[in-house]
Amino acid sequence: MKAAKAIRNGLDSILLIGIIAVNIVPFVYMFLMSFKSTINAHDFDFSPDKLSLQQYGKIFAMEHFGRYIFNSVFVAAAGVVLTLAVCALAGYAFAKMDFRGNDRLFLFLVLTMIVPSEVIVVPLFLITKSFGWLNTFRALILPLPTAFGVFIMRQAILDIPQDLIHAAKIDGCGNIGTFFKVVIPMVKSSVLALSIFTFVGAWNNFIWPLVACTKEEMKTLPLALSLMKTQFNTDVGLTMACAVVNFLPPFLFYICMQSRFKEGIALSGIKG
Amino acid sequence: MEKKHSGIKSLAPYAYITPITIILVTFVLGSVIISIALGFTKYNIMTEPVFSGLDNYRRLMSDSKFMKALKNTLELVVIIVPLQTVSGILVSAFLVANRKKILGKLANCIVFIPVLCADAVAGVVWREFLNGKLPAVEQFFGLFGVDPSMLLGDSGKALVVVGLVAVWKYMGYYVVIYSSGLLSISGACYEAAKVDGAGRLRCFFSITLPMLKPMIILAVFLSLTNSLRCFDLIFNLTGGGPNNATTTLVLYAYTSCFGSSKAGYAMAISNMLFTVVLVIALMQKMLMRRDVSEI
Repeated sequence: MKAAKAIRNGLDSILLIGIIAVNIVPFVYMFLMSFKSTINAHDFDFSPDKLSLQQYGKIFAMEHFGRYIFNSVFVAAAGVVLTLAVCALAGYAFAKMDFRGNDRLFLFLVLTMIVPSEVIVVPLFLITKSFGWLNTFRALILPLPTAFGVFIMRQAILDIPQDLIHAAKIDGCGNIGTFFKVVIPMVKSSVLALSIFTFVGAWNNFIWPLVACTKEEMKTLPLALSLMKTQFNTDVGLTMACAVVNFLPPFLFYICMQSRFKEGIALSGIKG
Repeated sequence: MEKKHSGIKSLAPYAYITPITIILVTFVLGSVIISIALGFTKYNIMTEPVFSGLDNYRRLMSDSKFMKALKNTLELVVIIVPLQTVSGILVSAFLVANRKKILGKLANCIVFIPVLCADAVAGVVWREFLNGKLPAVEQFFGLFGVDPSMLLGDSGKALVVVGLVAVWKYMGYYVVIYSSGLLSISGACYEAAKVDGAGRLRCFFSITLPMLKPMIILAVFLSLTNSLRCFDLIFNLTGGGPNNATTTLVLYAYTSCFGSSKAGYAMAISNMLFTVVLVIALMQKMLMRRDVSEI
């Protein structure tokens, strides 16, 4: 009995290690290769003295690389701020205010979630072009907020007791005052989850920047990485260094706040 | 729903919902309308669109590239959805069973890393990984008689590889969904089954799977839609090649518009895909509603 249990424990451990390995090996490869110099990239000797930061030096010396990072950070950060602002306000109105067409308008907004962004790149490109917005930050940031954000904020705000809002009103808070002083502090965790979800989505966004930005100085990091692969096909180390720069921000966020992060990403599935 | 009259009917709520409404009407609804309208035209972006009725759709039916893209898209769905569902359920059940162990905690944390990395990163890294002539990788694939560097270049295998990378990339996502379902099954069920003499397998099939049904339906539909939408990963892994072997509808629409300036035609392709997505969403609504009423 005891022996059988030990064997099963051992098998479980091996399986767990297998799961870990499958999920981590390509990233280990990415990190290791990014520390290899161009000449001996393919000798697969990963002893410490063969590793260098040379590739990172090279990508940061590349023209526009600083700009790519700035673009990615700026678009993702502005996207989070914009999404939170418009979604929290609308969520508050839908959850706690009584107005004509409340339910019908909300249903209409939620229905837009069915439209996959990949399906509308061409018309979205045409709209952006007709505004004269190609190669601008506006084009990259303004389409980021989705009905999903409204949905999440509405769900969270619905749970706030109406009495609290009445109390704030009696104490002389206006709608906006109530919103900032009472509502927002009570839905902090949803705000955080939506922020993470939006940040990672915007940071990893690929097809839209690919279409909307043709100028070198407007490109974001994933685009730069994708183009690098064709330009420097022989230089694996350089490509992998760029991949690491791309990968690190979401990864570090994840390490810092795992459960929030999973909640934020998995939220997108548990809608409707 | 709890909603009380505040007494003051004002314009404030409309002001609050205006920004997001403008954004969604302009970018999403506007796009859908333009896509439907221009799907009936010949439009090359440079000159004015010319109405051509159902021409685009008729041409689609005789376009061998479109048919290939359609076939690839459906094949990809057939590869991804069952694998993703089965692997998601098994891995999450295994991880939940081992959640108290240190290794289990670590694995639970690590399966999510591929999910948070960009599809573009995953595509580029897997491409290099398979083509990198890494001795360990070559030996591992050699066990199955496969040369990894030939996988993405072989038009017979490339689509399968793309599908497998997609399953790998999103496994953690489905594990999170299934785990939340698994953790909500009360331990009392399993204890009662144990008293009745049920083994591990019997418990899985008679308790876990039925209790997980709503989650499975949800995850299958998510997996369906996500595999139909897949673009970033394919673009970076194979670029649609070799010889269009991995070109899906989204990729074909993209190259039709931005490669050969056939914007009207590209929108007709997208509209076909959108129709499929809509049908799937409707099916999901119906199935989920029935499931809820059963409970």
